[in-house]
Amino acid sequence: MELKEISLQLEAGRAKEVKALVQQAIDEGFPADRILNEGLLAGMNAIGVRFRNNEVFVPEVLIAARAMKMGANVLKPLLTESGVQAAGRVCIGTVMGDLHDIGKNLVAMMMEGKGLEVIDIGTDVPPEQFIETAIEEDCQIICCSALLTTTMNVMGDVVRAAENAGIRDRVKIMVGGAPVTAAFAAQIGADAYTPDAASAAEQAAAFCREMKEKQAV
Amino acid sequence: MNAWERMTAALEHREADRVPVYPILAGATRRLIGADYRTWATDAKTCADAYLKAVERYDLDCVLTLIDLSVECEAWGQKLVFPENEAAHPDYSAPVIREPEDYDRIEQIDYRTGKRMMMHVEVVRMLAKTLKGKVPIISFVFGPLGTLSMLRNQQDMYMDLYDEPEAVKRAVKNVAGTLAQYAGALCDAGADAIMWDTLFASGSIMSKPMWQAFESDAMRMLAQTVREHGCMNMIHNCGQNIYFDVQIDAIAPSAISFLYPPDDCADFAACKQKYGDRVTLIGCLPPTGAVYGTDREWDKLCREQIDAMAAGGGFVLATGCEYPANADLKRAERMIELAKTYGVYQTHA
Repeated sequence: MELKEISLQLEAGRAKEVKALVQQAIDEGFPADRILNEGLLAGMNAIGVRFRNNEVFVPEVLIAARAMKMGANVLKPLLTESGVQAAGRVCIGTVMGDLHDIGKNLVAMMMEGKGLEVIDIGTDVPPEQFIETAIEEDCQIICCSALLTTTMNVMGDVVRAAENAGIRDRVKIMVGGAPVTAAFAAQIGADAYTPDAASAAEQAAAFCREMKEKQAV
Repeated sequence: MNAWERMTAALEHREADRVPVYPILAGATRRLIGADYRTWATDAKTCADAYLKAVERYDLDCVLTLIDLSVECEAWGQKLVFPENEAAHPDYSAPVIREPEDYDRIEQIDYRTGKRMMMHVEVVRMLAKTLKGKVPIISFVFGPLGTLSMLRNQQDMYMDLYDEPEAVKRAVKNVAGTLAQYAGALCDAGADAIMWDTLFASGSIMSKPMWQAFESDAMRMLAQTVREHGCMNMIHNCGQNIYFDVQIDAIAPSAISFLYPPDDCADFAACKQKYGDRVTLIGCLPPTGAVYGTDREWDKLCREQIDAMAAGGGFVLATGCEYPANADLKRAERMIELAKTYGVYQTHA
């Protein structure tokens, strides 16, 4: 088989097929990291690009992400066994007072599709919980989502909480959601605003790469 | 000109004395009479009094009776949460449609069994007593797919569109049957137009063919019902890249209220050029501008909208979505002031 088949089935959101193909790839002796990168992540990456280009939309991303999850569940024990590391660690949540989660979920799915480990702390998350999670889970990135104009101010509170906790120099703070703009992100001192889930995943992956390179130096 | 004449001119694509203006003041109106959100959203008299106060205080050119997006779904038994200072929303832990099989439990019901829909009808009846023929009353109704999403949850419903498309379509049809009765009742109570929220007809959510497959037939039927009741259809959609073309084809709206340029236009000026002679354009100030940024930036946004879309009439200056319910109302006042000064048409200057 070719690993590209996994990627194509994933793009089409065919979860059962992806699961079966991942198992087939394992049985045929493909290394876990190749199945992950050339099969699952390649497919999710392609969906991300098409989403950003308005070629596919939210339902297509959701079914592709579901397929990726099914495939990843089959692969997980092998990945752990072979010591494959995540590209970085992200803590994500919808800010306090806001119960909307679909935007946040899409970003989380896209980030997983970039090989990042995502710790989803849910909705209605107070600023302190973002900080505590980032410290406890050793996250490089905090992602805050908001759908309401009334709650987006909490993102500024997260930035201040990170400063007060003394972790601002080692975490990047990203913000997004329907009412959020680049100007707002700059105003509150966040590191990045991205307009869509695919761009958010790319930005997060880029931040993680930068931080790793800095550490290596 | 009074508000009625001004809005009529805009809807007939003629220049009025000035650009009509309507910050989408909905939940914010409760503060004008000192009501809490829950009372405003559940008591018809409180809600109507608040809207009337807003018309009186701000000299508004129309009223949009938008209560919240959970008005319709309550009739199918959706449990709601009424926060103290925010709009009501479904109890996300207890959706009516928990599994795809539950779509078949969504039947066409008598709208009169829905307390909140009946309350909305009563609000319109109360407003019409004072405003009919003077200030246009536009009633906001969440479309069938939107109502269905409040009974499921958006994320699961989006996947159901692939997994169980026929079940979703059957439920959409049944919901639409109820909404048709409801829209008719709003028209009979005194509404001049129904503004349909067709949230899903935008690139923010789904493809154009998918929207056509799942909601356009229902919207075509609903629009026809409203016309038969002697009222106009309007659309509200605050998504990005909204689909003007297919919605105009299905609904033939008199006006579209929107926040972002449609998918086939680069900007608002292009939208005016392409669609300005077919529908009245309502918008498109970002509600965030009412809360963040400087007064000068807000003024600039208002002027830019007028510059891009007011020429020749067929334009109403409005926020592209609800004016934030807890925001200071000074910027609403400011946009009204700018419509009255900067928005004066030269023939009337």
